[in-house]
Formats: sequence, structure tokens, C-alpha cells
Amino acid sequence: MKRSTLLGGNNNDGKAIIVENLTKNFEVSEKQKGLGGSFKSLFSPKTKTVRALKEISFTIKKGELVGFIGPNGAGKTTTLKILSGLLYPTAGFTQVLGFNPWDRKHEYLKQIALVMGQKNQLWWDLPASDTLELNRFIYEIPERLYKESLEELIKLLEVEKLLNIPVRRLSLGQRMRLEFVAALVHRPKILFLDEPTIGLDVIGQQKVRDFIFEYNRKNNATILLTSHNMEDLLDLAKRVIVIDKGEIIYDGDLRDLTEKHAKEKVIKVYLSKPTDYKKFEEIGEVKRFNYPMVILSVPRETSAIAASEILQNFPVADLTIEEESIESIIRRVFRGEKIVKNNAESR
Amino acid sequence: MPKVDRKALKKYISVFTISFQQEFAYRVNFIMWRVRNVMQFFLIFFLWDTIFATPGVNVFGYTKAKILTYVFSLILIRSLVLSTRSVDIAPEIARGDVSNLLLKPINYFKYWLTRDIASKVLNLSFAIFEAGILFILLKPPFYFQGNILYILFFIVSITAAIILYFLLVLLFSMPTFWFPQQSWGFMFLLLVFVDILAGGVFPLDILPVGIQKIALLTPFPYLLFIPTEIYLGQLNYSSILGFLAVSMIWIFVLVYINQKVWNSGLRAYRAEGR
Repeated sequence: MKRSTLLGGNNNDGKAIIVENLTKNFEVSEKQKGLGGSFKSLFSPKTKTVRALKEISFTIKKGELVGFIGPNGAGKTTTLKILSGLLYPTAGFTQVLGFNPWDRKHEYLKQIALVMGQKNQLWWDLPASDTLELNRFIYEIPERLYKESLEELIKLLEVEKLLNIPVRRLSLGQRMRLEFVAALVHRPKILFLDEPTIGLDVIGQQKVRDFIFEYNRKNNATILLTSHNMEDLLDLAKRVIVIDKGEIIYDGDLRDLTEKHAKEKVIKVYLSKPTDYKKFEEIGEVKRFNYPMVILSVPRETSAIAASEILQNFPVADLTIEEESIESIIRRVFRGEKIVKNNAESR
Repeated sequence: MPKVDRKALKKYISVFTISFQQEFAYRVNFIMWRVRNVMQFFLIFFLWDTIFATPGVNVFGYTKAKILTYVFSLILIRSLVLSTRSVDIAPEIARGDVSNLLLKPINYFKYWLTRDIASKVLNLSFAIFEAGILFILLKPPFYFQGNILYILFFIVSITAAIILYFLLVLLFSMPTFWFPQQSWGFMFLLLVFVDILAGGVFPLDILPVGIQKIALLTPFPYLLFIPTEIYLGQLNYSSILGFLAVSMIWIFVLVYINQKVWNSGLRAYRAEGR
């Protein structure tokens, strides 16, 4: 393991997370197709090495809220699991709050939390209040502090009425909010959030987002968040790290990323009379046509000209020009990457 | 340790409490598990009852009274030693749920041992009740050990048996780190060994002497057979001390192996299941 010469001793200049040349390989056993394949792999199991992370490096300052984005299997969750001490890194250097996560020192674990949208720590058959009480003792939280943070969390997440219902009877959204309470009663300084809004309805998502924002602000907590939900990132993260195939392809301001890559604008037209939508193709790329609505994508520079052309040549009831959505920009960033690299199928 | 760490103690007390509540959440499962135990007892009881149907018969050096005493004493000893929660470790590793505990400032082994103890307390209290009813129904011969020294030896051997079984379950759970789909296979292997060698179905001394000797080198007879024999006063002091020493050695060996395997298991752990 190589330690950077720049990082002398404990002086990390307010850095909460330091990752250098982090590599993680998984040995995956391959099974051939069908029953015959199962037999074969029973007697001569074949393994192949999957390179989940390829020497990634980044640092995160204390109190920063960073979005971690990338397609499925890019290595986001793997990174979070290494940072929280669950996975053993193959190579590289990781330091969080001055600790090596893999040591899983109790002083370290008391300062972090990992929340995964698809995993739960709440005891399924018992009311959440039982899990909370257990966590209080596991994290050795003094009674006054426990009451204080519990009260605050309950209020922020609006879960007061849910505390005494067996977890199995709650909806996903209710459960997720209680998961947050359980994960945060010990007031962690660092939060690793993996798809915290997955599967939630719009209101549930908003509640969770508001909460993350508040928690970050109030506790000056460092938060690293992965999400497929662009709303999450737009709402919360100033800085994003884009990861694809185990490599960081962008690390910086979210707005810069979108401005740099936003080469197009979206024109939304409401027609007053049916018309041949094929004629729109001369002006820009037709994304959707669903009378009376037409959505066009046009180059940024010519968007004003395109709009005036539309107004002159079509029966327009209403017209708006919008920025391309971040989601589609990022999708394009990934697609671009993939075309450059051996033309793999994009999902 | 100079003094008891009160915070740590509270940690495990709260684990004990929630574990108990969890068992109550699965009332039907629990009751069925107890019913199974009673049925098993009936099976073994009537098996031996039939073998010894002719009065005065002596099989494998056992008389009817002696074997029934053995079988009956086993009810409580079984529920103390063999009832565990830690069988959930393997599926927990397979599902990736072990992450939940790894993320928390708590010792994994102590956590599960505590949950085991909670399960044993619950099971034992039911077993005492069942034993009372069976005693009234079947009126088997029952042996009350009066010798304090034997009772002390028995307590030591039972404690050792509880720890041994915990360590065995743990050890046979850990291959799951490498073969997450095969978690049950290893546990079955353990249960096969326990069924044959622990003495839960028949006393081991009915086996040929050579096999007995080999069996006594494994940790399994120290789970049920040796504690029961100690309680029944079948062993002299020097053999009791010898057997206790062997089970202590096994505990040390298994603690060491478990630690090694656990550490390399964690390195192989994929934290899957999302």
C-alpha cells in the first residue's frame, strides 16, 4: 500500500475522507449455462477476476455533501462498503476521519453510518422503537443525548406514530424513514447513503431529501451519497463524482458538468391544430410527439432561431425552452464513454 | 480486566432483551420446535422401552432403568446445549445481513453468544415444564444427583458444552463466506455429526470400544454424552477431570481456528445481497 507523501501525519487539512489508488477485485465464479453447466462448475469451478475499482482517488472535506453517480455496477456501492469497513480493499489507501476503515475500530464505527435503500437493520418483527433502544446501548449513547437526537430525528422525519408498529407492517417509505432514525441516533459525523430514495414515492423522496439536507447543515456532517435519482443530486449535491467501470471519469461541480455537456436545449411545443410532425425534424431532433405536445432537442446556440422558426411555421398554442435534463446529460456522458471504449452495449 | 465495563454489559443485556422479544414474535415457530422436541423424546423413549420389553434384559451393559434415566435426563440437557439462535449466522452471511452488525461497535461473537443464551433460557424454562408433564405421564426412573462435587462438575461440563456447540455452529457457518449459496450444506454436516456422536439418541458407550475412543477425541461427545454421564454419576473423578480437560482443549482450539477463519472470511466477504 502506497501512502501519499503529501499527507503528513494527522494534518489532513479538514479532510474527512481520503482515497488513493483504491483498487478492489472480486473473484467471481462462473457458471456455464444450464444443468450441464451447473455440474461442470461443481467439479471444476472457474473463477474470473472482476475489477470493480481501478485505482480511484479522491478526497472529501469535512461537512461536504458529495454525490456519487454512475451506471449499475460502476463501483459506487463497492466504494461505500470499503469506506465503511465492510469490504477489504485489494490495494490502495483509504482513510476516514484518520482511521483505516478496515480496522473497524469502535471509535470509528461510532462516527459513521451506512444507509442502504435496499437493506434494513430494523428488526423485522418488532416495532422500530426496540431497534432504537438496542442501538442506544450498542452505540453507548448517553441518555440525555439519545433523547435529544431521537426527538429531533422523529420530528424531522415525521415518524412519531410509526415507532410502535411492527416493522413488517409498515410501507417502504415509512420503513425507510425509520431506517434513517435507527442509523442516525448516534449522530454520525460521516454518512454513506446508498440509493436512499430508491423505491419511494415522490413525497417520500422529498421528505428524505429534505432530511439529508437538514442533517448535513445542522451537524456539519460529511455525506457521500449514491443515487440514480437525478432529483436527489440536483437538490443536494454541489459536487459530484462520476464513476464508470471502476474509474472516476468526472470529479467536480455538478453545474460545471452539466454546463460543459449541455450542448442542447429542449423545446416543448403545444400545437393548436394537428400538423405533420415530420416537418419538425428539419428543425431539430424530435424526442417525443404526443399531440398536442411535441418535444424537440436543438443545439444550444441555435435554440432561439429554432424557436422563432417554429412560431412562424406551425400552429403553436404554447412554447417553452428548457435546459436539457441532467439525467439525459449524464446518460450522454456515459454513452460517450462507452462508445470510446470498445463499443460496449449501454443499458 | 480490572473492573466490569458497565456500558459493555448494558450492550449485551439489551441484546438479550431484544432477542427474547424476537423469540416471542415467532410464538408458533417456537411452540412447534418444542413439540418436535417432545415428539423426539417420545420416539427415543419408546424405542428403548421396546428394546427392553422383556424384564431383566441387559443390552449393551444397560438395564432398562438406567437407559430410561439417561434418556430422560437428556431432555433438559439437550435444550440447554442444542437450542441456539446462532444457526442464523450462516443465512445472515449469505444474505449479506452480517453487514448490519459489522457496522456497529459490538463484538460479533459476543452478540451471537448472548442471543444463544437468550434462546437457551427460554427453551430451558419450557423444557422444565415439559419434563414435569412427561414425568407424570410416563413415570420414568429419574436420578437425583446428590453429590455436590458431581453437580459442580456437571455445571462446568454443561458450560463447556454450551460454548463448544456455539463454536462449532460458528465454524460450520463460516464456509458461507466463500460459498454463499451452500450455507445449509455445512450446517447439515454438523447436525449429522451431532446426531451420531453427541449422544443425543443413544449413550455412546454402547458403541464398540475402538469407535468410542475415536469419538471421544472429537468435540461431539462433550456436548451431551459426557455432561449426562457426569450428572448420572457414571464416571469417577479422574476420568471426569480428563474429559473436562479435553473439552477445554477443544474450546481453545476452536476459538483459535474460528478467529483465523473469521478474519480470512471477512476478507473474502462480498457484502452482497443488494
